[in-house]
Amino acid sequence: MTAYFAHYLVMVGIYTILATSLNLLVGYSGIFSLAHAAIYGIGAYASALAALKLGLGFWGGLLVAAVVGALAAALVAIPSLRVAGDYYIVASFGLQVVILTVFINWTSFTNGHAGLPGIPRPSLFGLVIDNPFKYVVLSLALAAVTYAICHRLTASAFGRMLRAVREDEIAAQATGKNVVAVKITITTISSALGALAGSLYAHYITYINPTSFTLDESIFITSLVILGGTERLAGPFVGALILLAVPEALKFLAIPDTVAAPMRQILYGALLILFMFVRPEGILGRARTRPAA
Amino acid sequence: MDLVLQLLATGLVVGSLYALCAIGWGLIYGTTLHFHVAHGAVFALAAYYAYAGQTLLHLPLPVAVVLAIAAAALSGLLIDLLLYQQLERRGAFRTSIFIASLGLLILLENVLAIVFTPDPMRMDIGALNTAVIIGPVFLTYLHILTVALTIVAYGALMLFLKRSRWGQAIRAVSSAPEMARTVGIDLKRVHLLAYAIGSALAAPAGILVAMDVGAEPFRGTRFVLLASVGVIMGGIGSIPGAMLGGVFLGLLENLGIWKLPSEWQSAISFGVFLVFIVLRPRGFFGRTIHSAEI
Amino acid sequence: MLKRIALLVSLFALAATPAAAQPAPIKIGAILPLTGSGASYGVWMKGGAEMAAEEINAAGGIGGRRLEVIYEDHAADASKAVNAMRRLVEVEKVPFTLTSYSAPTLAIQPIGSQNKVVMMNGGGQSDNLANKDYLYNNIPVVSNEVGVLCDWLTKEKKFKAAVMIVANDEAGRNSAKSFRERFGAGGGKVLAEEQIALDGNDFRAQLAKLKAQGGDLLFISSYGRNVAIVADQARELGITLPMAATSWVQIPEVLKSKGAQGLLTTRLPFNPESAFARKFKERYKTDAGFFAVQYYSGTRIFAAAADAAMKKNAGKLDGEGVKNAIESIKAFDTISGKLVFQPNHAAVMDIEVGVLKGGKVEVEKVIKAAQ
Repeated sequence: MTAYFAHYLVMVGIYTILATSLNLLVGYSGIFSLAHAAIYGIGAYASALAALKLGLGFWGGLLVAAVVGALAAALVAIPSLRVAGDYYIVASFGLQVVILTVFINWTSFTNGHAGLPGIPRPSLFGLVIDNPFKYVVLSLALAAVTYAICHRLTASAFGRMLRAVREDEIAAQATGKNVVAVKITITTISSALGALAGSLYAHYITYINPTSFTLDESIFITSLVILGGTERLAGPFVGALILLAVPEALKFLAIPDTVAAPMRQILYGALLILFMFVRPEGILGRARTRPAA
Repeated sequence: MDLVLQLLATGLVVGSLYALCAIGWGLIYGTTLHFHVAHGAVFALAAYYAYAGQTLLHLPLPVAVVLAIAAAALSGLLIDLLLYQQLERRGAFRTSIFIASLGLLILLENVLAIVFTPDPMRMDIGALNTAVIIGPVFLTYLHILTVALTIVAYGALMLFLKRSRWGQAIRAVSSAPEMARTVGIDLKRVHLLAYAIGSALAAPAGILVAMDVGAEPFRGTRFVLLASVGVIMGGIGSIPGAMLGGVFLGLLENLGIWKLPSEWQSAISFGVFLVFIVLRPRGFFGRTIHSAEI
Repeated sequence: MLKRIALLVSLFALAATPAAAQPAPIKIGAILPLTGSGASYGVWMKGGAEMAAEEINAAGGIGGRRLEVIYEDHAADASKAVNAMRRLVEVEKVPFTLTSYSAPTLAIQPIGSQNKVVMMNGGGQSDNLANKDYLYNNIPVVSNEVGVLCDWLTKEKKFKAAVMIVANDEAGRNSAKSFRERFGAGGGKVLAEEQIALDGNDFRAQLAKLKAQGGDLLFISSYGRNVAIVADQARELGITLPMAATSWVQIPEVLKSKGAQGLLTTRLPFNPESAFARKFKERYKTDAGFFAVQYYSGTRIFAAAADAAMKKNAGKLDGEGVKNAIESIKAFDTISGKLVFQPNHAAVMDIEVGVLKGGKVEVEKVIKAAQ
């Protein structure tokens, strides 16, 4: 296995966690959040700072990231209690911009654009996970854990409640379901997992700065969910496998990076449009029946 | 005091640009309920049409601008005709239209980045660059033109919507699409008209910014985002609201940094918006909503 | 007939030569601002390195091996620099890389240090770049230039109250910190500071706030294309204060900008009439600049160090060997004179001060380097 392929698998693991946790909101709850990259970033910064400033190492950082992510979930949840649909999309845009601005400008904490270098690699029982090959195991293991958690959640009674709220919030409320509690719970879990992915990323690349957590990144994570298939838990994994392979495939054609980066984006854009025509429910998705017009 | 006046002036100029984008986007959204993020791509395209007209075809600036606006109106119309209406024919959900619009925005911006590079393409605006000094406030003729054009465009739009037959058709479709269809209004035609007009309103905004600081491929995303914020703050379905919302955002961005550090500019505007949307989701003039369904 | 036999024999000889006789090329990296607001620096940096590599190869390479430079673009984004560095280290296994800009260099330094890969910075000037393992700077840190500039501004030009516009990144903030200290040490005061983004293009709000503060000097602690925009928009807003900046702003966009004329600035040694400058202009159809020489020198310094390392280690070449060679050689001959790496891994150079007039800097004074 070459270093390239190992790197690809690590990123598949990280993005699977991101996309699966976002799918809890977009696919299962009808909360279309475009602020997931901000949550990803919060986890990354929390973990990096815990490791660099408090000397906690990866596992401590992971825990800190999950807790901070869960707390940050409030930012995602509160607008969802007041508005939905298109209104919520715009609110989540706004949230993404605000949090990114904090990353860039709260320099005493985040070091702004200069970022945080020298983030330590994880170690397990004395063994340092210091190359992509070892990291693949960690990344895919955490992705599997995320999948398991989400599976338990969505296959349970809670999952049924989620769907009820998504389909018709007012009816759900009328039958006595505590919609507020449901939304807060699901955003908390989604954000904690998204932040976890941030921790995994920070300790892998060993450097983070705000440019990894922009609106473009949110849109990319959303694409993974949409193309892989919402409402099918394995959808995001498939989405990650395919969309992350695209830049690697482009690398085999000797194109300069200044053209390759926009070309990658053109491909994503075209794929999104194509899928909406040909298979809007995504690769693994279940086609949702359209009510009679 | 001088500083406040300068920031007020800059805020009005920037607010005019946001208002142009907002009334165009608001018109489209109110009429079609499409979350047309690709409006940002039309904004960017208009700038490059003008740039290409002046720099590559050597047209005089006013001619290039007029042609660019027409080309942008056509572009917006084609987006509806070839993309959204085709998806609707296949029974697409509104989410799918949003995703397709997002895909188109990404695609078009990056095509522009490859063709023109991501660096800003400056335009030659000659005398418009001349300074205009009003008391303690420094502006250029371009800035004055921006505000004037926005007022004229708003006035023209309101007149059109109130007085002309097609304007009334648009208003009918916006408030009650099924009723409009029942009385024989061709919804598809009205949609195309809304797209043409809405895009023709975004175009001057894109062109004016390009004339000031150069055309850039990715600027449209920020403007369409701000436009949607402006429309929501003004109240969906209200053109005066969208105008007010856009101007308000421009003023907020600039006056907001009077006492606060300027690097927090974006956070201030969007922070205020987030508080606003939690407290008063229906905006300044919007109808009361119970649950904005997607 | 004899000629044909000779040709056949030589062809056979060539074919029979084992492939190992063609030694593997020596690969090094170059992480540069090839696109974005600093693309002008990139043109110089890449050109300088390319010219050096070609000359080295034309002279037989290093220890008989061809030198190959792998160019990567960071576009002023440290994340991209980190990804490029990881590719260079983990996949290409380079012993050495040229690097540029402060934040990207600081971001890659732990990776280089951990993997024993030498980094040579010819452009970034943050003071934090000194005293770092495996990182060498063949350019003085910014506090040297800011110190000389402030001495001149306070003692000879008699400025007392400055406002600053600062790029919100490592280099911008570091240079601003230095300016506060040195301007203050000269009896001056910094009244206010506003931050801008490197890739921004509208700074009127920040400039308006600075204008309201008064003062007698505007210090621009930024670099790249935005400096030209700052200068033009400052004049547009009616700011008539003289402006000052260090040498890193002297890219074509700024030299030509109307608003920037009259800029009080420092200059690092560069001879536009040199053979190097003429060759560069002929090849790349644009004027050479200081940074072209920097990356030419950086590549040549590598060649000298690598050569010494290979001689010492029986032909083996790795980062540690290159580092040891640099440490033991210490003083290198470059086309701008002798370059000596100080114990803090940075260089010192003569610094000039002058005024930007008609697109060129008219030098008023030269301050010799403190050795």
